[in-house]
Amino acid sequence: MNNLCADIGYKSINHYGEQLCGDHIDVLEQDENFTVIVLADGLGSGVKASILSTLTSKIISTMMADGLSVEDCVETIAATLPICSVRGVAYSTFTIIQLINNEMAELIQYDNPHIILIRNGKNYDYPKTEIIIGGKKIFRSSIKLLENDVFVAMSDGCPHAGIGVGYNFGWERDDIIIFMEALANAGYTAKTLSTYLIDEVNRLYGKQPGDDATACVVKIRRREPMNILFGPPSNRDDCNTMMSLFFSKEGKHIICGGTTSTIAAKYLRRPLRASLDFENSDIPPIAKIEGVDLVTEGVITVNRVLEYAQDHINENNKYEKWSRGKDGASLICQLLFEEATDINFYVGRAMNPAHQNPNLPINFSIKMKLVEELSKCLKQMGKHIKVSYF
Amino acid sequence: MKVTVCIGSSCHLKGSRQVVEQLQYKLAENNLKDKVELGGTFCMGKCQQGVCVTVDGKFFSVTPESVNDFFKTEILEKLA
Repeated sequence: MNNLCADIGYKSINHYGEQLCGDHIDVLEQDENFTVIVLADGLGSGVKASILSTLTSKIISTMMADGLSVEDCVETIAATLPICSVRGVAYSTFTIIQLINNEMAELIQYDNPHIILIRNGKNYDYPKTEIIIGGKKIFRSSIKLLENDVFVAMSDGCPHAGIGVGYNFGWERDDIIIFMEALANAGYTAKTLSTYLIDEVNRLYGKQPGDDATACVVKIRRREPMNILFGPPSNRDDCNTMMSLFFSKEGKHIICGGTTSTIAAKYLRRPLRASLDFENSDIPPIAKIEGVDLVTEGVITVNRVLEYAQDHINENNKYEKWSRGKDGASLICQLLFEEATDINFYVGRAMNPAHQNPNLPINFSIKMKLVEELSKCLKQMGKHIKVSYF
Repeated sequence: MKVTVCIGSSCHLKGSRQVVEQLQYKLAENNLKDKVELGGTFCMGKCQQGVCVTVDGKFFSVTPESVNDFFKTEILEKLA
């Protein structure tokens, strides 16, 4: 076991006028040591393609996770997929990335554009072995993982972007490589990298994609623990226990909540300095305590963080807002979404009597709900979450 | 003179931002920036009476509507 982990993010756009995407991505994380990612591109577009790709990716990920061989998977798919009445074939291309012990990546590629691997900011031409299974030409590679490796898997909708509109032959793989090389080491999350790639594809298509296009980015990074304290404990006597547990943990420390940070400042015997800088935002200003990486207000800030988190796992439209913002909510987002891989929540269940006022949009149950929803979103981003209540 | 405004959750919802900005504006307008230190703090434990403001430790309850009067009587006249 090493201290690496994988950040996985993807985004798709649909063929212009279609409501369903004909590409499908399935990520199956069996445990911390084995992850399968399958990107399948169904023949054609719309419903038929969507069914083909969903079946393909689901079958492969399930079989692979059970330890079956590629040969078995390919045979099963060939025998299972419904045959297209127009074209007389059952067909879906696929790209498989298996991550083993966070040490090795096994790539299996069939008819999709080849995975781009960016290592140390430069394109890395990894070795491939060609094998034939059931008449299908399949490429296999085994790669030892290094920190900062970025794998970019795509459906052919990406390199076809702009055919006839901006480019004669579409957005060629070499040009995509140059595009991704520039972004790979800038500290973006996998989700954001895939969003940038797909946004560019969409732009090249003139916002009317001629094919479904999907990008899946796997970024190998060092594990980064993060601790977040939210709310005072329900029993005053537990303050010291909560604080000593929180501060003894490795990684950065974030404190949310006015009363909570006052308690923490007392525990650390350091002054709490609140700033008055609103940073052009409707979020309350942050504060500073020596020894704490970030101190913010509580419910209002965390509520905004949740809003950004829900957007980040779906459309990722509000990315520009939080990625450069200096307000409390944006700063928490940058730490939790981009930096952290393992997040420990320390949640206090104390009730603030001032919040139990029907005129205020904050109360105890909302606070608990926030934590639940936020940890759900963070899990979907692939983070390892632990929540402790006090 | 030290003026502290609460920027905790409750006071934020009751308009502490407007209070802070108005005070900053008034201080600049009256050239009092080097005489008055304006600072923020988290919860003072009197959320019901927010927006909570203290002037040299003395507690006041201010609203965005009353901030101009507050500035006049508690800051401007006290300094004069």
